[in-house]
Amino acid sequence: MEAILNTQFQELEDIIGEILKVKKSGQNSDTLRTAAALKFVALKHANREVKQKIKSGRDNLHLEKCKVDISRLQLQNLLYEVSHLKKDIVRCEKFQSGDSKFVLLSDTEYFTKLPGLEDSKVKPESEHYKHLQRLECELRLRKDLDKQKSSLKNSKKELQQENLKQHNRYVSFVPALRTLKSATKPLHDALQLSLDVEWKLSAVVKYLPKPLYILFINLQCLQRVSDEPSFNVEVVGYESEAQMQELTNLKQNPKARRDYSERDIELSGKPEENPLNKELSPHPLHIRITLGSAGSIQLVLIIRYFEQIKCATAWPQLSISNNTNHQGDTNFVQHLLRHLFPNDLGNEIPIPGIQYDLQNKDLTPEECIQYLESKDFGKAYCWLQSICSIPTVNSSMLYKHELNLNKSMRETIARITRRWNSWLNLSQQIRGLTNKDIDLYALKENVYPAALSCSLVQWTAITLEEFLAQNSDVLKISPDDKGITYNSYRAVIVRGSAKMECFIRIPSNYPLEMPLWILSVHWNGRRTSQNNAAIKMMEYWTNSLQPQQLEENYCILYAQLFRTIYSFDIFLETEGSMQATIEYTKEKPYISAFAKRCRLRPYKYIKKGSVHAFKQ
Amino acid sequence: MKETDLKRAYNNVLAQALSSSQQYLFSGNLFGDIFVLRLKELEKGTEEPPGKLKIFPQRSAVEINCLAFRRDFLIVGTVGVVYGLQWNEDDEKLSTNRLWEVKIPMQADAVEVPDVNSLWLSPDTDTLFAGCGDGIIYQISLEDGRVERDYRGHTDYVHSVVGNSNGQIFSGAEDGTVRVWTTKQKEQTSMIEPYTTPKLHRPDWGKWIGSVAVNDDWLLCGGGPRASIFHLRSLESTCVLDFPGGVHVCDFVDDGVFIGGEHNHVQSYTLNGALQANIPVEHTACYSIVWQTSPIKIMSIAGFSNRLHILKDFRFLDSKIDLYGNVEGEDDAAEGDEEELEEIESFKCSAA
Repeated sequence: MEAILNTQFQELEDIIGEILKVKKSGQNSDTLRTAAALKFVALKHANREVKQKIKSGRDNLHLEKCKVDISRLQLQNLLYEVSHLKKDIVRCEKFQSGDSKFVLLSDTEYFTKLPGLEDSKVKPESEHYKHLQRLECELRLRKDLDKQKSSLKNSKKELQQENLKQHNRYVSFVPALRTLKSATKPLHDALQLSLDVEWKLSAVVKYLPKPLYILFINLQCLQRVSDEPSFNVEVVGYESEAQMQELTNLKQNPKARRDYSERDIELSGKPEENPLNKELSPHPLHIRITLGSAGSIQLVLIIRYFEQIKCATAWPQLSISNNTNHQGDTNFVQHLLRHLFPNDLGNEIPIPGIQYDLQNKDLTPEECIQYLESKDFGKAYCWLQSICSIPTVNSSMLYKHELNLNKSMRETIARITRRWNSWLNLSQQIRGLTNKDIDLYALKENVYPAALSCSLVQWTAITLEEFLAQNSDVLKISPDDKGITYNSYRAVIVRGSAKMECFIRIPSNYPLEMPLWILSVHWNGRRTSQNNAAIKMMEYWTNSLQPQQLEENYCILYAQLFRTIYSFDIFLETEGSMQATIEYTKEKPYISAFAKRCRLRPYKYIKKGSVHAFKQ
Repeated sequence: MKETDLKRAYNNVLAQALSSSQQYLFSGNLFGDIFVLRLKELEKGTEEPPGKLKIFPQRSAVEINCLAFRRDFLIVGTVGVVYGLQWNEDDEKLSTNRLWEVKIPMQADAVEVPDVNSLWLSPDTDTLFAGCGDGIIYQISLEDGRVERDYRGHTDYVHSVVGNSNGQIFSGAEDGTVRVWTTKQKEQTSMIEPYTTPKLHRPDWGKWIGSVAVNDDWLLCGGGPRASIFHLRSLESTCVLDFPGGVHVCDFVDDGVFIGGEHNHVQSYTLNGALQANIPVEHTACYSIVWQTSPIKIMSIAGFSNRLHILKDFRFLDSKIDLYGNVEGEDDAAEGDEEELEEIESFKCSAA
């Protein structure tokens, strides 16, 4: 363009120079002038072209600039994004899922709780997917639990309200009672009831802890209602001590929370015995129940209450008035309470949630039980809690809260009395047998007039090992150990040259189970139920004796002994009939010595009208 | 001791019988319970324990002295009566109602109702021979339940009755004699008194004969006297078997004899008197041996204990099967037991 313009200028200059020459020469310059004018047109044209070009150039430039701007913007956006992503990556890298902290259900539990999912999992999914499903299920479970919790909370609130309502009613009850009392004052006077005296008596009583209070009041009611009370109940302990205890409790309680941690540290250095002593101290007042009539052997139950483990314990004792020999009896009396109710051996603390309470104090229930045992505080039986109106949970996790106190207390006391009486009866029998001052004829099973030919020459206590050494089939049948212990005795019965040893095992849950007899005859060799069917039959006949077959006020051991002795007589007389040298002649009235293919002896005694006979 | 434990400790099984289908074993005891064992259970592999037994208590706990099986009913011999019970093989159920009942006639001078101690079924005719506690053998027709005739002669109760294919009946009794009878004659045809033979007599054991067994040529008997094999025609003792205890059960098995009784072993002898097998048993005394060779070869020994002893090869003890404590539906029954006990106790005490 420049070149064009330059050439055009050059041409115009040339033409103007020529015009100047022409003018100087004075010639007509018109053609030249036209040419020059024409040149100007061309120049103008070129000029316009230049302008246009400049404009288009500028437009182009602008366009390009815009493009550059956009791409620049994009670039910056990208850069920003990159930095953002980088940050995210770092954050992701630092991220850790909280699920690793959860304790998930084990595989088996998971499948049992959600059995439907098991089938869908035929092909093994990835570990992660499985984990996710687990987490989801966990979430569901937790939600369920949350729902349960809130419903429980609601019910708790309702109960509290109910409680409050009842409490208000109870409080309003007191003035009503007072007015009633004052209103009936004339009646009291007329009936000569001295209410004030009784009130004095209960001064100590009101310091009793609640469960013992309930027990005491109920027992006292029972005692008053019956004409001939079979038991006597009293509160033992000093009012002042109970007051002191209450005061110290009040003082300690507000502080207790605060110095827990301090005390824990303190305690850790001290010997083990200390926390137990402190935690498991009984309430200073306890209840003493005496069963049996005064003057003879009495059963004394000492019932204590332990604030910390929220349960009551019973310790049985014998109260012996005269100086007779009662060795071994104290042992037995412990078992009396253990076998009162099935599955209630007192081997645990039957209070719901007690193990958690104890955990907070770094104790275990076992330690507590051992401690209670060692201090002769006795055991926390379920039946005892039940009559103290304490809710219990037994070993098979059965919750029980006895509400019909009147009935259960009557029953329990009656049961203890019955057991005590039957045990008393048994121990008298044992003493009678040991001292051999027994009168079999007054205490026999069925009235059998003829004399017994055998005689009891010895009755001694033996160890359980000696008893077990008998190795009889009967001993192999021990169905389930219900915490029963045994006392064993050996009795020797003699007739002529024959001797019979009886090994007797008396279970601690008598009279639920009867004493077991194992017989062994020494005559022409040793014969036991292992090698002689007749002895085994004899043993069965003795052991099959049930109290139902006896008259009232039976003496089971005497009856069993009686049966054993006449069976032995019959054995000797029947066996003797076959012997070459006859030592024992028939004295008992039996029809035939043997019957059936097993050659049964006539051990059974029958009485039909005036006919007495033994038969098979 | 509870009643169930007592029964376990003193279970006395006197009788056993095999069903005619040869698939079931019945055993009855003195407590009046009949146990039924499926023999198939014994065929199973050793891994899984055999299934439980069925129990059918008899009414008012009659003492079951002997059992026999005919067609589809079980014949029970007890005190004073023989009765039949329908056995339903499909349901494995023994009917509780007695299908039929035959009372043993009381003798004029009798003071006791006689036991039915032994039953023998004649394989050809529907005739049942019952050896009873009054020393008489009654021949009962199963067609109409009539007592067809009786065989009198024993002076004490009959322990065992068997017969053979020649129409002869053999009975062993407490009086120490083995008597031979035929259906055609009123009186006994011959008699053996083993206790009179010095080589058989055991002074302190008594003279009673606890068991008799016969085959076509030989007679085997024992009891208080030693067990011995007699030749049928000459009735001479040919061989004395050295079984140490009193003999309550004996039988010819294959080509030998089995003897059991008041001894802690059951013994098997050859016909020459040589000991073949000595099988230890838990029973205080053995009272019953039953066996079959097909379809399942099996022998069961029962006695005064709670276990049946099972032999599969007739030589060695194969297994022991508990009776009480191994019965279908027993666990539920045990539950109720304890409460009952308590009830009784409270009843007793309230009475006192």
